[in-house]
Amino acid sequence: MSALRGIRVLELSESVCGEYCGKLLADFGAEIIKIEKPGCGSPTRRFGPFAGNEAGDERSGLFAYLNTNKQSLALDCTASENRATLSALFARVDVVVDDHSLSFLQGLGLDPDTLANDYPGLVLCSISPYGLNPPDERRHAEDINVFHSSGWGYHTPSNAPVDQPPLSGAGRFMPSYEAGVEAAMCVAAALYDKQDSGLGQFIEIAMQEVLASRVDYVLGQMIAGDMDVSTERSAFDLFGPAGIFACQDGYAYIWMSAPAHWDGLRQLLGDPAWMASFPERWLERECTPERVAQCRLHIGEWLKTQNKHEVAEAAQKLGLILVAVNNAGDLMASPQYQFRKFFAELDHPVLGKVSYPTVPYKLSATPAALTSPAPLLGRHSAEQLAAWLSEQANTTEATK
Amino acid sequence: MTSVKRGGPLQGVRVIELTKVWAGPYIGKLLAFLGAEVIRIESDGSLDVTRTFGVDDINKAPGFMAVNPQKLSMQIDVKTEAGVGLLMDLLKESDILIENLRPGAAKRLGFGYEQVKAVKPDIICVSMGMHGTEGPLSYQTGYAPCFAALGGLSSLVGYEGGPPAGMNVRYADSTFGAVAAYAAVIALNHRRRTGEGQFVDVSAVESMSSMIGDAIMDYSLNGTVRECDSNKHPEMAPHGVYPCRDGEWLSLAVSEANWPVLLEKMDRQAWRDDSRFANLAARKANEQALNTLIAEWTLSRDAQAVSELLQAAGIAATKSASSVDLISDQHLWARGFYHDVTSGDGESRPILGPGWHMSRGADINAAAPRLGEHNAYVLGEILGLSAEEQEKLGSSGVVR
Repeated sequence: MSALRGIRVLELSESVCGEYCGKLLADFGAEIIKIEKPGCGSPTRRFGPFAGNEAGDERSGLFAYLNTNKQSLALDCTASENRATLSALFARVDVVVDDHSLSFLQGLGLDPDTLANDYPGLVLCSISPYGLNPPDERRHAEDINVFHSSGWGYHTPSNAPVDQPPLSGAGRFMPSYEAGVEAAMCVAAALYDKQDSGLGQFIEIAMQEVLASRVDYVLGQMIAGDMDVSTERSAFDLFGPAGIFACQDGYAYIWMSAPAHWDGLRQLLGDPAWMASFPERWLERECTPERVAQCRLHIGEWLKTQNKHEVAEAAQKLGLILVAVNNAGDLMASPQYQFRKFFAELDHPVLGKVSYPTVPYKLSATPAALTSPAPLLGRHSAEQLAAWLSEQANTTEATK
Repeated sequence: MTSVKRGGPLQGVRVIELTKVWAGPYIGKLLAFLGAEVIRIESDGSLDVTRTFGVDDINKAPGFMAVNPQKLSMQIDVKTEAGVGLLMDLLKESDILIENLRPGAAKRLGFGYEQVKAVKPDIICVSMGMHGTEGPLSYQTGYAPCFAALGGLSSLVGYEGGPPAGMNVRYADSTFGAVAAYAAVIALNHRRRTGEGQFVDVSAVESMSSMIGDAIMDYSLNGTVRECDSNKHPEMAPHGVYPCRDGEWLSLAVSEANWPVLLEKMDRQAWRDDSRFANLAARKANEQALNTLIAEWTLSRDAQAVSELLQAAGIAATKSASSVDLISDQHLWARGFYHDVTSGDGESRPILGPGWHMSRGADINAAAPRLGEHNAYVLGEILGLSAEEQEKLGSSGVVR
């Protein structure tokens, strides 16, 4: 049983945020028709990683990842001759997801202001960097810009070296994935409401606000005047010896904030002499920069001689919070990921059999499932459109 | 039915929250912002660290107030048998239980999924753990930066050729909470359709991996382990964060089409004939030289002014926002992202709104609750207990 079986979603999105939202809904059985420009398809088809590092049609790993379980309909939605078809689809589907501008939506006859009247049962979700009416100086944005307008950029990494620039997060699309999750959650909530009320609604996701809201613990205190604001890049930081250290075979992260952690470290290291010069509760009460630096130096020297997974296991058993800094290879080999079946294999007509990362939640009654690989461009054109439109006709017939 | 009517798609849904710190409270906040009635269970004997750490007044704890607006607070000592009994009575009248206690703690205390299901068959239980509830590594514990390290995210954040620096230390909890919120709303959809509840098991570490899905695909497809790349982007150059006057920074992302536009705005048209920068491939090959030249141009300029100059020409650029910039961001104020809510005492306080606007959304108007602010409502109105029975629960230490 799939939680969203029978839900119909029209995907107009052409960026990572909107395609990821659609993917999350498709995981639970929603039927997603992806509208793609005839000939070239979604722009994400032209982004790497490419299979064998060789760019080419249907070789994008990004597109393959973002569009599992979807169907592809090649249709130029900006062409006037397709307007009537689209209108019929808008009236028939439950959800439209888009990540273009307000004028794009209005051009298709999807006006947020009149949506409730034009398509009362439709959930329309728009995802954009700053909302649909951005100020002039925010009309153009890529993920890096959104990230840096949200506070995360300026304050990443923690303990930043002053001569190096702030960073843009992990990979290319972190802000898009964050926004995609928020959008999918709102769409699912609106569908829950629709089951009861029969009504759709307009959802506007602003990526800057999604990211800024993710730092509510800090920014919420700042806006209320409970925490100092400044132009310091360390304004979000916690201080102490925590951090990433090199190991023999990679890196490990160690967290230390309480006496129990200090105790665990002592046991793990075999009570070394240097620890004796530290006050017992220094982490909470006397955490001076000098002690932090000294502690980090000693931990660093020692961790260099260790293997990350082995030392993490030993540390965890002593109550010390130390973990491996994993890379993609470590994830694939992780016994925990294997146990939870985080990776699932799909057979794609061009990419072949490949393992895909799946989802971080296991639902006992309605698990997420990857059932089909990303569609080849225009793979489902005629069949699905005909089916959807004829059901439209049937429904109209039945209500007469 | 729930008594607090603020509208929104989840109006009528009652959520019981047994959570700590940030990730668990964050999912509760999102569900509350979507219109659910979220009751946080607290107790004098085990108050959350965000209520108590470095705080003068536990009813006005800044960190707690930042993450728990729009919730109710009910005191139950769940470490007593009678307390668990009371919790069970409440769960019979509820839809969702959220917990992020230590792995296995909920079950040990008597309110694991099977135990709750026995009294409330259609309950949705959301359990949040670093590695989920089961598996070979589920015994391990950690805080937010550990999730990011284990999930593969930290390894991608850092300076080229250097060790991973990781995201700002605050990252991970809220993202984990958002991912869990999506899963919870999916489970609600299923329940409304079929009457069936379920167990939702969410992994913090996998939540992090889901923010770098395309990087993991690169490993899956090509065996490529991605490394820290400063702020580089395989499909754009320039792409990065550049130093400006007064220690400010500019985030900039330039598409192929915008490269000549950038040169015009920089008044560096001569670079058009420079073979090092002729096209994307050339600029990628000479990226360091390119970045140095751009930084030389930005260094003497005002970040906001440069951003406006470039935006006017259609180029994606923003000033990297410090905490001062964030709280004075006029766009965020104008959109109501920052807005005032009112406490039970009638005090007004600004909070951060959600990352969405919904045309039929909930009113977000209530500040975080005082400890036990809603004891009488829960005991009297939800559970229908007489004043005498309520008194007894108080004096016996169950409600404390």
